[in-house]
Amino acid sequence: MGAGEQRAFDEFFRSNVPRLVAFTTRRSRLDPASIEDIVQNTLIKAMRNLSSYRGEASLFTWLTQICRHELADATRKAARQPAYVSLEEPEQVLRLAHQLRLPQYREPAAQVEAELHSAAVFETLKSLPERYALALEAKYGDGLSVDEIAAMLGVTTVAAQSLLARAREAFRDRWIASTSTSSAVAGQHE
Amino acid sequence: MPWLANMSEGGPNARDEDMGDQVEQVLRESLRVAPLTPEALARIRAATIQEWEQASGSNIESKTFRRALWGSLAAAVALAAFLLVWYLASPGDSTHFGQIARVDVGETNVRFQFVRQRTLHVGDTLRTGDKLSAHGPLLISLSDGGSLRVAAGTVLEIAGEVQARLLHGQVYVDLPPDASSHHPFRILTHEGVIEHVGTAFEVLENDQFTRLRVREGRVLLHRDTERIVADAGTELTARSGSSVSRREIDTYGSDWSWVAALAPDYEIEGRPLLGFLEWASRELGRPLKFSDPHARAVAERTILHGSVRGIRPLDALSSVLATTSLTYQIRGDTIWIQSGNGT
Repeated sequence: MGAGEQRAFDEFFRSNVPRLVAFTTRRSRLDPASIEDIVQNTLIKAMRNLSSYRGEASLFTWLTQICRHELADATRKAARQPAYVSLEEPEQVLRLAHQLRLPQYREPAAQVEAELHSAAVFETLKSLPERYALALEAKYGDGLSVDEIAAMLGVTTVAAQSLLARAREAFRDRWIASTSTSSAVAGQHE
Repeated sequence: MPWLANMSEGGPNARDEDMGDQVEQVLRESLRVAPLTPEALARIRAATIQEWEQASGSNIESKTFRRALWGSLAAAVALAAFLLVWYLASPGDSTHFGQIARVDVGETNVRFQFVRQRTLHVGDTLRTGDKLSAHGPLLISLSDGGSLRVAAGTVLEIAGEVQARLLHGQVYVDLPPDASSHHPFRILTHEGVIEHVGTAFEVLENDQFTRLRVREGRVLLHRDTERIVADAGTELTARSGSSVSRREIDTYGSDWSWVAALAPDYEIEGRPLLGFLEWASRELGRPLKFSDPHARAVAERTILHGSVRGIRPLDALSSVLATTSLTYQIRGDTIWIQSGNGT
């Protein structure tokens, strides 16, 4: 690999892979090892099909399309997995141990609440148009600037600002609607 | 869940702003995810970079192949075009200029139309378009008869069957009296065209001037609209932007020694002594005279045997006459041949 290619790969990896990890994590309830597998498979398939990338979508958008297929495959495979884990299989033990290792320790109740919160937010995001969800993820999840989001979506900065505003409004409307329903349901049970 | 209730509180405007802030806060808190460990990222990177290299390699290989293919085709077309031009531009037999007769010391390179370059050897043919760079003295036997002597350091371009362009250096043209008058031999210089009228002459070309020295016969210098005649024993010097200067010169002496050193070999075997003496006379630039009728008779009837190849004219004269009853003396500009010791 030449020096130029090395730099190109470094730039590609730096600007896409952490966000792809976040994209995958938000859309699954999988453990970090599975996330790693999905991201790795996504990237390998992307490398093998580089010639099919026409530049019509941004590179990251193209990667997320591949990633969605990998996520769907992983979900189907997970559904076929047995409901128990044999502790006699070293690989399964390692995987379980990895799952049990939390990046930040939280009290179990707070952890559950945070996970429910995230799941609810993400369910709302999933109900939005894809570009809205991507823009909000990039802004609030990945911390990208408006310029970077514009580049990612292949639009102007002004268009990206407008898109973000519409995305926030749409999210707020659906979030309020969903939380009202949740409150009502919760009230009926209380 | 307190955050659910909070988002529904407050007045209409304040509530909108508040809700906007809260939406952003909710999104930030919920969409931030824990990154993979550096080890996991390193594993992903290693696997990806391997695929990247294979993909890049195959692409490069493919591109290289395509590039090589197109390159080969382009090269083939270029070669065909070159060969066509070469064939059309290569001179036929009619454009032979001469043949290398002697290369004393140093090598002479010849280049043909910026493409071929080779070192000249005795027997090599010179053609139109050849450009000579003589690092040592060189003798060329001209196709139409006569010879062209080239001094060391001369650059000469063969411009035609009977013409050469002197770019730098010094040449000496020696043509037989019966040389074609329809196609006179020409030396092209910066200051004009020098044309022979059956003669021997020397041309020198350098950065400052062009100099013509006529040793025998008559030469024409065509310069712009001028047509200047120079007879034997005349030197013309032409400088850029000024008129041609003229002066008388000796046709013998040290100035001509380089010419004598390049004299074509004279084959004496089976030939009369008189012919050899006339040859030596021309090469030395001195007229030949007999002191008495007997000496001339001896020269006419004496047939020589042997060889003087590679010997300079004056040395050859001494050597040959030593085997006969004749001797020579140089008085003034003349070579005197006499019987015995001249007494």
